[in-house]
Amino acid sequence: MARRISWACGLAVVLCFLAIPLLAHHSFGAEYDANRPITLTGVVTKIEWTNPHSYFYMDVKDDKGNVANWKFEGYGPGVLYRTGWKKDATMKPGDTVTVFGWRARDGTNWAHSREVTLPGGKKLFFGPPSGTGDGGNTPAVEVR
Amino acid sequence: MRGVLVAAIVAMTWWPVSVPAQTAPRGVAKASAKGAVPRASDGKPDLTGVWQGGSNQRGSWEEANAGVGVGGTGSNPSAPATLSSNDRPTGREPAPYQPWAAKKVLESFNKRGIDDPTALCLPPGLPRAVTLGLFPQQIIQTPRQIVILYEYMNVFRVIPLNAKHPDDLLPSYMGDSVGHWEGDTLVVDVIGFNDKTWLAGTGTFHSEALHITERYTRVDKDQINYEVTMEDPNVLTKPWTLQSTIMLREGTRLEEYVCAENNLDPGYYEKLLKDGVNFSRQH
Repeated sequence: MARRISWACGLAVVLCFLAIPLLAHHSFGAEYDANRPITLTGVVTKIEWTNPHSYFYMDVKDDKGNVANWKFEGYGPGVLYRTGWKKDATMKPGDTVTVFGWRARDGTNWAHSREVTLPGGKKLFFGPPSGTGDGGNTPAVEVR
Repeated sequence: MRGVLVAAIVAMTWWPVSVPAQTAPRGVAKASAKGAVPRASDGKPDLTGVWQGGSNQRGSWEEANAGVGVGGTGSNPSAPATLSSNDRPTGREPAPYQPWAAKKVLESFNKRGIDDPTALCLPPGLPRAVTLGLFPQQIIQTPRQIVILYEYMNVFRVIPLNAKHPDDLLPSYMGDSVGHWEGDTLVVDVIGFNDKTWLAGTGTFHSEALHITERYTRVDKDQINYEVTMEDPNVLTKPWTLQSTIMLREGTRLEEYVCAENNLDPGYYEKLLKDGVNFSRQH
């Protein structure tokens, strides 16, 4: 395990140098709070494969058995298709999945979905990392 | 696990290949053992193909993006984000805006880019359409003209070679392009812009006086070195030059992108502002 962790750290360093400019159409930071990561497991109820962004909905049961329907946002269909997602095949209503993402700033049952763990255990990215589309950490101009 | 390690080592090997885009003299093609530059019937480098801007990784779209490009570090989804096209590239000089204009750029940054024209499904303009990484672009080259199709917002450019700009241009989002070859480098001159797009980063606005010069140099089978110089005396203090790389994505096809289909973001922004949710930052 220790070897695996140190190896992963090394990989992270390597990947830091592979800066790949992306484009997020929307501002992550306006809609979502990077300080509020969330991981939820539930049953998919609906998937909207739409541009510019896709959405899916999931019933999540809490400790007391109460069910709440959550909304998740991610990439549009073209981006998802090119990175391994297939409409009506990869994830379907009725599937139990685990989603990692960040909660919306408005506090409702809504989150940005980053990684989805599918029923077979396979993990795919449904949306970009936090902090995309909102200017990142550094403005284009010098701060005087 | 072993496959990922190999990928990481290969990535390290590839990194220096992409660096000369920022350091090599203009127009000098870097020799590469990765594959010869295909030639068109007229002897010019043939840029025809489907490409991904803003990337420096070789391979198919899925190989270059599924684990790394689209997803941060791949192994850690909560790791800091890779650069977006709205970010200032690391290690590069700040954009040379006049003080009043820099203040306006910073205002957009502090508002986290909710005033991004593309959030309204408007065309991205240049050079943004070229350098963004999430969507492919297709180049179709003939001896007399070059056509570039961009999946993002379904925009296109028709670039006649050895031609002059029309003298009755209407301002437009993507401008008017004319090109010519300087040795093995395609040079494209673009004017006729409106003032409704961003250049390269959140808030990087411009005026209708924008003049862009692009240089496309295919250095091997997989890679185009892209250099763009932006001039706008109304908002910049001097020409602003950026370098990037554009990578071949064999097997990728352009998909339809109908942004107006379900664009909910402007409504979200409006509601956040109405409800007084604080998402701004101060610099």
